[in-house]
Amino acid sequence: MTGLRAPGFDARAVRDRALRGTAAVFPDTADYGRTLYGAGLPVPGDALDAARLVPPVFMPRRLEKLIELGREPLHTDVDLTATVGGFRAALPVYLSAFGSTQVASADLGLAVSRQAAGLGLPMVIGENVVPVNGYGRLDPDAGSSLVGRIRAYADHAVDGFGGVVVQQSTEDADAEVWNLVYSDPSALPLLESGRLAFELKVGQGAKPGLGGMTVLSAEAAALLGGQFALDPVFGDDPVLRCASPGTFTDEILRQQIRFMRNNFPRARVWVKLHPGRDVADAAGVAWAAGADAVTVDGAEGGTGWAPVPFLDHVGLPLAECLRRIGRPAGDLLATGRIWEGTRALKCLALGASAVGLGRAALLAADADPGLGLVRLVEALALELRLLISALGKYSVPDVGPEDVWTPTAPERQEHLV
Amino acid sequence: MTSAILYKQASLLAFDKIFCIAPNVRLEPLETCNTNRHLAEFHQIDVEISGATREDAMAVAEGIVVNAVRRVIAERSAELAALGRSPEAFTELLEWPFDRMTHADAVANLRGLGLEQSADAEIDWRNEEILSSKASRPFFVTDYPKGSRGFYDRESRTEAGRLRNFDLIAPEGYGELTSGSEREYEYARIVTRMRESGENPAKYGWYLDMVRDGIPGSAGFGIGLERLTRYVAGLTSVWQASAYPKIPGVVSA
Repeated sequence: MTGLRAPGFDARAVRDRALRGTAAVFPDTADYGRTLYGAGLPVPGDALDAARLVPPVFMPRRLEKLIELGREPLHTDVDLTATVGGFRAALPVYLSAFGSTQVASADLGLAVSRQAAGLGLPMVIGENVVPVNGYGRLDPDAGSSLVGRIRAYADHAVDGFGGVVVQQSTEDADAEVWNLVYSDPSALPLLESGRLAFELKVGQGAKPGLGGMTVLSAEAAALLGGQFALDPVFGDDPVLRCASPGTFTDEILRQQIRFMRNNFPRARVWVKLHPGRDVADAAGVAWAAGADAVTVDGAEGGTGWAPVPFLDHVGLPLAECLRRIGRPAGDLLATGRIWEGTRALKCLALGASAVGLGRAALLAADADPGLGLVRLVEALALELRLLISALGKYSVPDVGPEDVWTPTAPERQEHLV
Repeated sequence: MTSAILYKQASLLAFDKIFCIAPNVRLEPLETCNTNRHLAEFHQIDVEISGATREDAMAVAEGIVVNAVRRVIAERSAELAALGRSPEAFTELLEWPFDRMTHADAVANLRGLGLEQSADAEIDWRNEEILSSKASRPFFVTDYPKGSRGFYDRESRTEAGRLRNFDLIAPEGYGELTSGSEREYEYARIVTRMRESGENPAKYGWYLDMVRDGIPGSAGFGIGLERLTRYVAGLTSVWQASAYPKIPGVVSA
């Protein structure tokens, strides 16, 4: 455990799940039969936290399941398998990119790769890993380089499940990351089994409208000076490394997606958007151009380091992104402060086909590099089964906007249904 | 991607028209190793003509192929015989102008045959081989969609999304010999097209500085030397047209 912190995020609860797994979904059994629960009102963090999942009384879908099974259905009968951006996943969850921040550069990257593969969950490898950590083709101990992470995933992958998504931003285009991966023998098993995707990074939740930023020692920065702008905002050492955000118009986005499909026909195409006010238009362009998935990173998302004004005041919250997109015309993936079942299921009900774990996955792997993420995901899966079955439904696509009640905008349900 | 096309455009600041025959090295993806028509190292006959239209460039490309074939038949008939290649294979090539079809027509033809072909992409290699097999002399495919080619192929000013470019396809299943186009030469257009093809303009500093100062409009093409040789000699694979082939997916000593 490295003492990785995540202010404003319930890191303690995530670490607890990483260590205790499904047991952490319930109150301490030592108090069973001796404590009365339910009087405390949670402090809502945002519109998604404030929304409630609302099981109906009459459940025709439960009747369908009862008829299918010939017995009363339980939460264990919920099928969580999902299609996530063209991949088959054991549950509607994927691992979002951690970027090039130092926390993701350590052995955590490999620990997360191994566990995500074993869980059958797709995993995104972040932008700038190649320019910052190297590609690793010639290094037998490829470590946290791009190839190291791909190998770690491929070695632990479950047949028919999961996939690796390699992100590329404007600076990565200089390193031709996708070309390298597409022609690399270590990616071949994934490519041949249809489990390789490329993600075009249009933006990110932590700092909408800006490119990636990291703080580097002056020595490390000197090695990157040619590729990235360096800003001495803290004095001479360390320095701020700024990637450019890249310029997009609807035609640029459309053509870049076509280019990806034409140049890498055997790879899936994912597009990651920041929570811009025109997020619905951008998602629509991406799907129409043939993107297999559009990832929307709410302003509360992102493990990345960002200037203070951006952390608190810039970008749409995830709930508002989902509302503006409405009924998605393709696979919609949502990220932003997701680690447990209720927030995940609210996103799924409001249109997402899967949710991304970002900082929660890092914290869990940090708490226990061997099984932390596995336990966190087992707890999440149990909660999803309990919640979905409570709604009288037994598969993920059956969940819909009618399952969510929003106190601030009750008319939303009519808008979405 | 650093294409010879940028250097050809630069060369037109000194000359009205240029040609060169130079080795090209490409990092090819693994799926090109069994197409019979890709090499990691190959030679290209490059041509660029200042002030030329696409049609001018197509006429030059056609002239080169026709004259090369005519010279081989006239001067190398013994070698053709040794290779088992009959000069009759070129009768139509020598007597008729090359046919032309637009990319949209090619897509419609292929779909008419019950084949899958995206209207937004290059013609698939397999589909191109089918079109090639049905032909008895070389033909041009023109007007590829934007997104299927690099930023330097000029987009039509009257039909958005159509490029003023062409491929020359050999018959008998030999496939593509040549790609060519009118070029973009206006600074703002080039920067925008770079972004549309996912390129970082910062990588092309010298080129953009030059374009900002002004370069002439032009058209040009590149003929794959080993591909042309393969077609003329009637070889199964393009590597047979090279003394020391470097094949994608095969480690060369």
